[in-house]
Amino acid sequence: MKESYTFENIIIRLKQYWQKKGCLLFEPYNSEVGAGTFNPATFIRILDEKPWNVCYVEISKRPRDGRYAANPLRFQQFYQLQVIMKPSPSDIQRIYLESLEHLGLKFKEHEIKFVEGDWDAPTLGAWGLGWEVWLDGIEITQFTYFQQAGGIDLSVIPVEITYGLERIALVLQDVPSVFDLKWNNNLTWGDVYRQNEMEFSEYNFERADPEFLISLFSKYEAEAKKVFNDGLVLPGYDYTIKCSNIFNLLEARGVISISERAKMIGRVRALANQAAELYLKKNSEGKEEKSEEK
Amino acid sequence: MIDFLLEIGFEEFPPALLKRTAEDLSAKVEKLLVDERIFYRSIRAIYTSRRFGSLVLGLTRKQKPQIIEIQGPPKKLAFDSEDKPTKMLQGFMKANNLKLSQIFTKKIKKGEYTCGKKEIAGANTDDILCKEIPEIIRGLEFPKTMVWTKGGIRFPRPVRWIVALLDRRPLRFTFAGIKADRYSSPNQHFSFKPIRLEKPREYLILLRHGGVIADPNERRRIILKRIKQAAEKIGGKPLYTEEMIEEINSTIEYPEVVTGEFENQYLDLPEEVLMAVLKVQGDLIWVKGSNKFICIFNGKKKAVQNVRKGYARGMAAKLYDAYFYYKNDLKQGLQNMLAQTKKMMWLEDLGSLYDKATRINRLVEMFKTVPELDIDVLKRSAMLCKADLLSQMVREKDFTFLQGIMGGHYAEACGEDKQVAAAIKEHYLPKFVGDTMPKTKEGSVLSVVDKIDNVIGAFLSGNRPSGSYDPFGVRRNGYAVVSVIDACSMNISLFEIIDNLLKLYNKDFDKNIISEFFIERFTRYLQDKKFRYDEINAVLAMWKGDVTDARIRCEALKKLRGKPDFTKLVIGQKRVRNILKDIKKIGVVNEELLKEDAEKKLYKKGLETKSKIKELFQKRDYFKILNLLLAMRIDIDKFFDDVMVMCDDKILRNNRLALVNYINSLFSQYADLSQIVIEGENQQE
Repeated sequence: MKESYTFENIIIRLKQYWQKKGCLLFEPYNSEVGAGTFNPATFIRILDEKPWNVCYVEISKRPRDGRYAANPLRFQQFYQLQVIMKPSPSDIQRIYLESLEHLGLKFKEHEIKFVEGDWDAPTLGAWGLGWEVWLDGIEITQFTYFQQAGGIDLSVIPVEITYGLERIALVLQDVPSVFDLKWNNNLTWGDVYRQNEMEFSEYNFERADPEFLISLFSKYEAEAKKVFNDGLVLPGYDYTIKCSNIFNLLEARGVISISERAKMIGRVRALANQAAELYLKKNSEGKEEKSEEK
Repeated sequence: MIDFLLEIGFEEFPPALLKRTAEDLSAKVEKLLVDERIFYRSIRAIYTSRRFGSLVLGLTRKQKPQIIEIQGPPKKLAFDSEDKPTKMLQGFMKANNLKLSQIFTKKIKKGEYTCGKKEIAGANTDDILCKEIPEIIRGLEFPKTMVWTKGGIRFPRPVRWIVALLDRRPLRFTFAGIKADRYSSPNQHFSFKPIRLEKPREYLILLRHGGVIADPNERRRIILKRIKQAAEKIGGKPLYTEEMIEEINSTIEYPEVVTGEFENQYLDLPEEVLMAVLKVQGDLIWVKGSNKFICIFNGKKKAVQNVRKGYARGMAAKLYDAYFYYKNDLKQGLQNMLAQTKKMMWLEDLGSLYDKATRINRLVEMFKTVPELDIDVLKRSAMLCKADLLSQMVREKDFTFLQGIMGGHYAEACGEDKQVAAAIKEHYLPKFVGDTMPKTKEGSVLSVVDKIDNVIGAFLSGNRPSGSYDPFGVRRNGYAVVSVIDACSMNISLFEIIDNLLKLYNKDFDKNIISEFFIERFTRYLQDKKFRYDEINAVLAMWKGDVTDARIRCEALKKLRGKPDFTKLVIGQKRVRNILKDIKKIGVVNEELLKEDAEKKLYKKGLETKSKIKELFQKRDYFKILNLLLAMRIDIDKFFDDVMVMCDDKILRNNRLALVNYINSLFSQYADLSQIVIEGENQQE
């Protein structure tokens, strides 16, 4: 295996690539999220018309996908590399494909397929059209042109490119399981995360206390509402993210029914929509004040 | 003769829209050429996952010239008293380059005018295409579109290039901010370098060099050939459907093939699960009975090793999950899942899934007298039909569509009766218009009752459909209900089921609202069966809820309406209805009061007919019934010709009205024929 194919080197190389394409290199959010989209560097920043190009790694937590470290491709926690380019460049598909070449992938020796996959995040009131990108039949990226976020129709369309880092590394390193991935030359992904997977799978599916979680959900929700009323977007949104994570935990625990599920999603979405509206309102107010000053 | 190539390039198009959009585009281009009198030798639709367009060969450079008639001055003003052309006519001739011998006269509304014929030279094909092609592209319709630039055009996916070559020159137009040009794009697995096209005729060959088989039919042939060869090598039968091949064909540009395998233990999974995994893993084709699959992929032969490995890995992960769910579900058992449905709310305020199953289980009691139906099987399958919603398999989104099917498998594995398993398995059918129908009687009843319950549930929980809002798919459910009842020719009253179900809810709700909804759905169903709306209205006006019965009535009506007697009969019925319209109280016929021959005869005929049709109604021989009713026509006409119904004598009058009403009642048993619209009649009346 080439040294450049270690998990950490793949991350470094991708970051360098997108840095050259004009992206600001950002870092993960400091609270549990299900996807890089939740990071304010995406959800909040895509709302307005100002150019915004950013690249960051996000730790994505999906409690339902845990498999007690027994499935080679599914886990309750993995790494995403998130890229947002707003407005979306007209040759963005090629830029993306070249990022794979930059990693050392030769197109003549693989199949890269853009499989229709419309994306929506009901808890964020967000949706877009795009694809799952498959590398030899394995989904390695979600490629989306956002159309709406926080219930707001976007006028300047951002493109979101979310790489599943473990899966790309799997193909590049040609190993059968993510647990065998070389993180660096000494340690594997399994060395780093196996215990984490097993314990969190058990916690998410069997141990998490539903009542505790439900009360947390309500408290976070109440705090978010209160903070929004005080006119603070980002702290309110922070609690929105927490609600979303709690919801994911409850779902994994299998304690919410179909209709309750729809209701809880609706509650989180209401918060996300409020954050979006408040953000836009504050920003346009800012503009008006400035123009008045002039 | 020149050629024309139109190719619109985009990022990968939704496969389900591709074929029809490409064909629609070509049909529109063809229509344009015909309408504009531009001759062409051949046209074909082209498409791959990243482009669609038309290749037109052998066009004329110009439109065919057109001869039009132009109108000059009125005859009165065109010629003087000596029949010589006036200045006015001379001016007209000069302006249009016409000789006197070419002038003729023509009478039109305003009077007699001079005319001449003029040939208009055809416009350039180039100019017409430049103007119309962008309009055609803009006029394409899609169910779902997006924007990708601020304020830009909407399209299913971003448009990235346009080739519009007429002979050797690009057409001058812009669409979605892109100028039409001569550069196409190769398969990205082969190169990123644009393909420069000098003329349309080299399109197919140059694209092939770039790893693109642009002709979908050719690509399809290659796909089928490759599958066949691969299957022969493995030594088995490949399992695929037309739709799968079309889907594959719409997601690639250059078909290569590879075979792969999965672990033998996964052959324990139900076939439906295996097929579902193969489908979500990219339309892989299973070689039946083996642990091998065939994969058509887009790219180069060189990629075979990696592609095989990759797809097999993807399969392994997904099969692992499916197997994991399956084993856990079997361990848990259907009975435990059933117990859990008590905790799973169905719809807000309408109880749990368990309550729903219990309701269906209680309702199906009403079917215990239906012949060839095992009520015990029906009741047991009703109780168990929602349990699989609690299985891990069905709760996973890739497998949710296996609801019912998994329930059937689990039921059988847990020792339930085979018939119970079969009924559970098929009770979600039909899932869409044209889908398979349940095969067993028990499955059909379960399907019908479950769906009516869904409809009622949606109405009760405030989710009735309106406009495009139909979150519970209530309309689809309603349509499926009448199709299933009709398909298995059950004699059951829809209204009775609705009534009984509503009672079990113990909620105050106007049942007519639900009945009306089903009448609307049934009307749509009958329309789809090609009955005319007035036939449907006539039959449904007298409808008591038996679906099959109403359909047979419509059929007889349709068969007979061509007869000349029929029209007269309907006219008679309309008269009858008008006479009876304002009469509030009508008695029975007193035979002694019948005076005129015509009324005596009619009454006799009525009595005869009534006794004859009584038996036929039981046999549902509606064609004969309608014929017998039709045979009364002469006596009815004679009655109206000879007898004054609204005579002065009140007793006679009332008796005659009673006779008219009696005759009418014979017809009403069948349908309200006055609803039939007769040609030439004002439909509004």
